Amino acid sequence: MNPYLQIRQLTKKYGGTVALQEVSLAVERGQILGVLGPNGAGKSTLFGCVLGFTRPTKGEILLEGHPLTDEERTSFGYTAERVALYPQRTVLENAAFFGALKGLPITEAERQLARVGLQSASALKVRQLSKGMLQRLGLAIALCGQPQLLILDEPFNGLDPALLDTLQSILREEQERGATLLISTHTMSALEPLATHVAVLLRGRLAAFDTIDSLQAEFGQSDSLEQVYRQIALQDPPMEEVFA
Amino acid sequence: MTETRTNYAKRLECEQLAAAVSWPCSFESRRHAGRSSNLSRQLRLIASKEFNDRFRSGWVLACVLVWLGAIGLTSFLGLLQIGRIGAQGYERTVISLLNLVQYLVPLLGLLLGHDLMVNEVEERTLRLILAGGLSRARFLMGKFLGGCLTLTVPLLLGFTVAGTAVGLTTRDSSVAPFIRLAVSGLALGIVFLGLGLMVSTFSRTRIQALVFALLTWCLAIFVFDLVGLALLVSTKSPTAAHEIELICDATHVNVAADVHSEFDITTNAKPRTIEPTSNSSFWLMLNPVDLFRAANLETQLGFNVSLWTSLLVTSLWLVVTLGAGLWKLKQTDL
Repeated sequence: MNPYLQIRQLTKKYGGTVALQEVSLAVERGQILGVLGPNGAGKSTLFGCVLGFTRPTKGEILLEGHPLTDEERTSFGYTAERVALYPQRTVLENAAFFGALKGLPITEAERQLARVGLQSASALKVRQLSKGMLQRLGLAIALCGQPQLLILDEPFNGLDPALLDTLQSILREEQERGATLLISTHTMSALEPLATHVAVLLRGRLAAFDTIDSLQAEFGQSDSLEQVYRQIALQDPPMEEVFA
Repeated sequence: MTETRTNYAKRLECEQLAAAVSWPCSFESRRHAGRSSNLSRQLRLIASKEFNDRFRSGWVLACVLVWLGAIGLTSFLGLLQIGRIGAQGYERTVISLLNLVQYLVPLLGLLLGHDLMVNEVEERTLRLILAGGLSRARFLMGKFLGGCLTLTVPLLLGFTVAGTAVGLTTRDSSVAPFIRLAVSGLALGIVFLGLGLMVSTFSRTRIQALVFALLTWCLAIFVFDLVGLALLVSTKSPTAAHEIELICDATHVNVAADVHSEFDITTNAKPRTIEPTSNSSFWLMLNPVDLFRAANLETQLGFNVSLWTSLLVTSLWLVVTLGAGLWKLKQTDL
């Protein structure tokens, strides 16, 4: 049986710069894949290719065994590292607009706003929101329509502990519902209780991809995700050696 | 708690935004929804959002006022230089308005189109839109349709209200030239909206797009005719001279169309006609402004621009500009 999402030999080059090099991985339904790596490792490029706003140079992305189409992306939810919405429009208008693009009624936008605790702020203009509220709005938009695949780019950045708990419980609920999640982050402590699998990208290449337990076993004495990540990152030669 | 009137209005707009169609919530049930209904819904959403944004910003109202003022003033004060005040008939209003429309409408189209795409790219909202499953082609078409709506509403409102006022005041029933001016002016605006949209997809920043849009305007309105004249002078080709005299030279066009000459007691200038040649259509295809000018001066020039020529040229320009815009958008990594 075909995996839910399969990425095959994905390569992305910007001129002479290789952002992704022959990355291959597969994710089953209901899994939570944490995508780790330093800045510039290719995490956002990988997400961009899956979401259709970055064109791969080579390789393919398959959804349930066939090439991913624009139409199928209506079943995806996405929040960017820097949530960008229409500042002159209200919270509800933004959520309703992006929901409507997927064919969803306004009640679905209202439901998701309530879920992330933004119901009382629905009449506020987006430009009036704090960073935390903006992130919650981005999440509410991503959650609209019970997405089959949720892609979250650095969702834990700048969240206070209470909000972090809320986000983690929402993501757990989504997984229990059957959604597949791809999460990139530098906050490994927040990801560890959620992720079933981890992929580590280093300079555009897939340095590791497995379950957290398998990676911990492979890199003995590593009892936290952060330690596993450090061990993997150590295998990668520093930049000076690469260019020597 | 009772909903306030403002909140109710906003909610109503949101509900309209959500297409007022009851769509099933889960993806599994939605995936069977027809492709064509998705297409029309998405186009409608993007277009209506564009129009709503422009309406809120005051653009639409400002355009309506500009057109009402321009048409009204041109008609009522158009003969001021010969000492007459009062409304002119439709034909004279058309001649007086011709220059204004050929300068202002392309500018409006370009200004409207220049930030349609680059704004979404710069603000990074395009990422979220594409991530929601909207194809680039649909987004471009939605934006173009929204731009058309934003251009059409004020132009038609302005022409209709002012045209009715002119008709009632002068009791002139020969409204055909005025309608032709309105329709061809609208087509001209839409062609330049397409050009503006293309400029927008090729630009990296809004400032760059604005500069390119203004350069395009200068090129179409001034440079094209000047280059044509320069070609004439340098080659001294009689055929080219004839073509340029017919289509490009604003001075001769104005002489040919000089409706004020009958009031001019110092000269015996008469409107004259210029025989067209087979190459005229070629020149007209190169610049929509010249096509617009020729289409509205048929009687004065004795030159017939067929409806099919106009439709063909307008369609070709739209296909080329939107096609180039889509090609560039598809090449763009966000």
